[in-house]
Amino acid sequence: MSIGPGLTADLCLKCNICTSACPVAAVTDLFPGPKAVGPQEERFRHPRLPTPDHSVAWCSGCGVCSRVCPHGVAVTEINVRAKGELARREGISLRDQLIARPALLGRFGVRFAPLANAVLVNPIIRRGLEISLGISREAPLPAFSTSTLRRRQAAHVARVPAPVTHGEGQPVAYFHGCSAEYYEPWIGELAISVLEKLGCRVVLPPQGCCGLPLQSNGLFDAARRYARWNVQSLHPFVAAGMPIVGASTSCTLALKHEYQAILGLEGVTVSEVAAAVYDVFEFITLFKMDELERLRLSSIPIRALYHPPCQLKSHAIGTPAIEVLQMIPDLELIYSEAECCGVAGTYGLKSEKAQVARDVGGILFDQARDVSPDLILSDSETCRWWIEKHAGVKTLHPLQLLAQALDIP
Amino acid sequence: MTDLLIVGQGFTGLFAAVLAAQRGARTTLIAAGRGGLSLSHGCIDVRRGGASPNDLRALPADHPYRIADPAGLPDALAAFHVISAKAGLVYRGALGEDLRLTTALGGIHTTCLAPESLARGRLEDTLPTTIGDIEGYRDFSAELAVRNLARAGIEVVRSVSLPLIGEAPRRDLYAHDLALRFDDPDWRTELARAWKPRLGGVRRLGVPAVLGLRHHPEAIDSLEERLDLRLFEIPTLPPTVPGLRLERALRQTALTAGVRLIEGARAVGLIDGRRGGRRVSGVVAQSAGGPRSYPSPAVLLATGGVLHGGLVARQNGRIQESVFDLPVTHPGARGLLTSESAFGSQPFAKLGLRLDRRMRPLSESGGPFFENLYAAGGVLAGSDRAIEGTRQGIDILTAHRAVECALGEGSA
Repeated sequence: MSIGPGLTADLCLKCNICTSACPVAAVTDLFPGPKAVGPQEERFRHPRLPTPDHSVAWCSGCGVCSRVCPHGVAVTEINVRAKGELARREGISLRDQLIARPALLGRFGVRFAPLANAVLVNPIIRRGLEISLGISREAPLPAFSTSTLRRRQAAHVARVPAPVTHGEGQPVAYFHGCSAEYYEPWIGELAISVLEKLGCRVVLPPQGCCGLPLQSNGLFDAARRYARWNVQSLHPFVAAGMPIVGASTSCTLALKHEYQAILGLEGVTVSEVAAAVYDVFEFITLFKMDELERLRLSSIPIRALYHPPCQLKSHAIGTPAIEVLQMIPDLELIYSEAECCGVAGTYGLKSEKAQVARDVGGILFDQARDVSPDLILSDSETCRWWIEKHAGVKTLHPLQLLAQALDIP
Repeated sequence: MTDLLIVGQGFTGLFAAVLAAQRGARTTLIAAGRGGLSLSHGCIDVRRGGASPNDLRALPADHPYRIADPAGLPDALAAFHVISAKAGLVYRGALGEDLRLTTALGGIHTTCLAPESLARGRLEDTLPTTIGDIEGYRDFSAELAVRNLARAGIEVVRSVSLPLIGEAPRRDLYAHDLALRFDDPDWRTELARAWKPRLGGVRRLGVPAVLGLRHHPEAIDSLEERLDLRLFEIPTLPPTVPGLRLERALRQTALTAGVRLIEGARAVGLIDGRRGGRRVSGVVAQSAGGPRSYPSPAVLLATGGVLHGGLVARQNGRIQESVFDLPVTHPGARGLLTSESAFGSQPFAKLGLRLDRRMRPLSESGGPFFENLYAAGGVLAGSDRAIEGTRQGIDILTAHRAVECALGEGSA
C-alpha cells in the first residue's frame, strides 16, 4: 500500500486558493471548503478513531481544488478518501448502493427498457423514489437503451487482441463505459465511426463499469474489484501496443488516475494501462490531426456553448475538444465560465444535495440564458443529462458535432 | 499548433498570455495550479520611493527593471490599463505619482495603480472618512484600523460595525464568500436598508474589499446610491477579492482571445532534455495519465520565485529552478539564505535567473542557455520585490518585454 495522498497535506500553505475556487463552498456554508476538510483536518483522522467531522460529506469530488493548488496538495484525493471512509463507517444507504451501480441497473434496465423507462418518467413514481430512497425527483435519469452497444456492434467485440496486421489502420481499443453500453449506444457507435474515419481499426475489449460511481459513494472494495478486473482485461491490449480510447471523461479519468491515486492500486499493469488511456479528443489532437486536416469538415453555422466537465479538467490536458471543434467551419464556440455544472456524477441525484448541485450549476445556466446558444456541448454523460434538464438547452457530446461535420449519419 | 508556450499562470503568465494572443500568436499556457495573483492586494506596485525612469535607471545593472529596460514601462502599463479596463476593471493612478492607501491593519500601502474601488480611499483625499467592518466577518476590524491610522497621524472620523442580514452563517465567512453575496442585487438592497441607520452623517465609508466579484461595478454603484455616500474598499487577508477579480478578468480575456489553457499540469522538463542543443523544442508536462509533450518554437518561463514554485530549496541548501534546472544565483551557504529579522530584506528573495537583454536565462558561461527560452516575473534574480515594492511592476514590464522578444519584435 502506498503512503497515499494524505502526506501531501504537509505541502499546504493554507493559502485558500482552493477554497476560493471551490464551487460547492461558494453556494453553501454547510461545506467549510476543501482546505478545511482536506489538508487541515487530515491530521485529525486516524484509522481506529471516529471521524472528527461530517462536513466532508458535502464535497462533490469535482476535483477543482487539486487542479488549482499551486503546491501539489492532493486535496480532492484526500477528501474523496475521507468521504468514502465516513460513508463506510456510518453505513451506506440503499440509494447510494443503487446509484453506484450503473452496470447492474443497466443490465436489468436494457432487458425491460420500455417498461423501466415509462416507470422512471412517471412523476408519481419519481415522487415515491424521492420519499422512499432520497433520489431527487428533479434529477434527470437517463433512459435505458433497448439493446447494448456490444450486441449492436458485435463484429467489433474482441476477447483478446488480434495480431496487428498492416494495412488495416492503427488498432485502438475503445472503452465505452456504462453510458454507451446501456443508455446511449449511438454515442459509442459515433466514437467508432469517427475513429475509423480517421484511419483506426476499433475493437471493444472486455470491460466492466470503471468503478467511479462506487468510489464516489464510498464503496471502495467493490470499486477495486471492478478496477482490478478492468486492468486485467485491458492490459493484454495495451501490451499489444493499442491505446485505450474513451469518450466518457469520468471513466477515462478513473483508468488514468483514480485507480492509483484514490483506490490505491499498485503495480506495473495498473500504471501501464493508465499511461495508455486517452480521451477521444486528446487522442485525435495528439495523433490524428493530419488525418483530420485531410478530411473536409462540413459547415455547422450555429452557436454552441462548450462546458468542459470537471473530470476532463482533472486529466490536466486542457480542453482538446475545443481544439478539434475550432476546425469546423462557421461554428461559433463560447467557453463556459462555470467551474462545475453541479451534478458531479451522482451527487446531484441525491435529494439532500440536489439544491446545492443546482446552485453550483447556476453560473452555467445563467450564462446559457444570457448567450442563448443553439446547443450546449459537454464530454461527460452525467453533465450532459444534468445540463440539458436544468439549462433547458439541447446538450450534446462534442463527438456528435464532429460526426456531423464529418458527414457521419 | 503553438507559437508561444508560457509556463505559469500567476500575474506574469496570464498577462503575457493575453499580450501574446492579442498580437496574433497562438498561445498555450501550462500551469501546475493557479498562481499567486489572488494572494496579492490587486494593486500594481511599481516601486516604493521613486518610480520615475531616472529612479529605475539608477538601480543595479542586474535588477529586473534594468534588464528589461525601464523605458518600456509606460507602454507596458498602458497595455495593462487597456486590458483591465476592457474586462471591466478600471485602474487609477499614473507612473511617478504615489497612491497612498490604507491596509486592513491601518498601515499605509504606497502603490502606483489601484483598482477604482481602492483608489477612492486614497489618503490624500480630504473627505471625512469612516471605516466599517462587517459583523460575523472576523478578518477585518475597523476599530484596529482606525487606531493604527491615528497612530500614523491619519484622522478617521470613527469606526462602525455593520450588520449582515439573513441567517447566521454556519461557518466563518471568507472575503470571497461575502463578495458572492454582494453580487446578488436583492440581497444588496436589503443589506443597504440594514446599514443605513448606522451610517448617519457618514460621507465616505471604507469597508473590507468584498463588494462583489462578478458584478462588482454594479454592486458598488448601487450601494453608494442607496446609502448616499462614497464607498471605498480595503484589501483583506488573501485570497483577496481585488486579486480574484483581476485573475478572473485576465483568465477570461485570455480564453476569449484563444489562449489554450492546460491547467493542473506540472511542467517537468524539456522535450529533448539537454541533448536538444541550442534550442528548446517545447515542454513536457505531467497529466493524469502520463507525461505529455507540448512542442513550441518559443517558451516563456513565468513560474515565480521561492514562494511560488519557480525556485525550489533542496535540503542540501541548493536552490534549483524547478522546470529546466537552469543555473540560479546563490549567496553561498544555506545559512545565508535568510536574514536575522523576519521583516527585513531576505537574501533568498533576490535569488533567481540571470538574463540577457533579450530576456533569455544565462548559462554559467554567460551566453543564453537556449536561444528560444525566455523568462519573466518572480523567477528573475536581482530584486527583493516585497521590500522594494516592485512586485507587479516587474511582472508587467518583464512579461511585456519577454513577449516582444519571444515573438521576435523587440530590438536588442
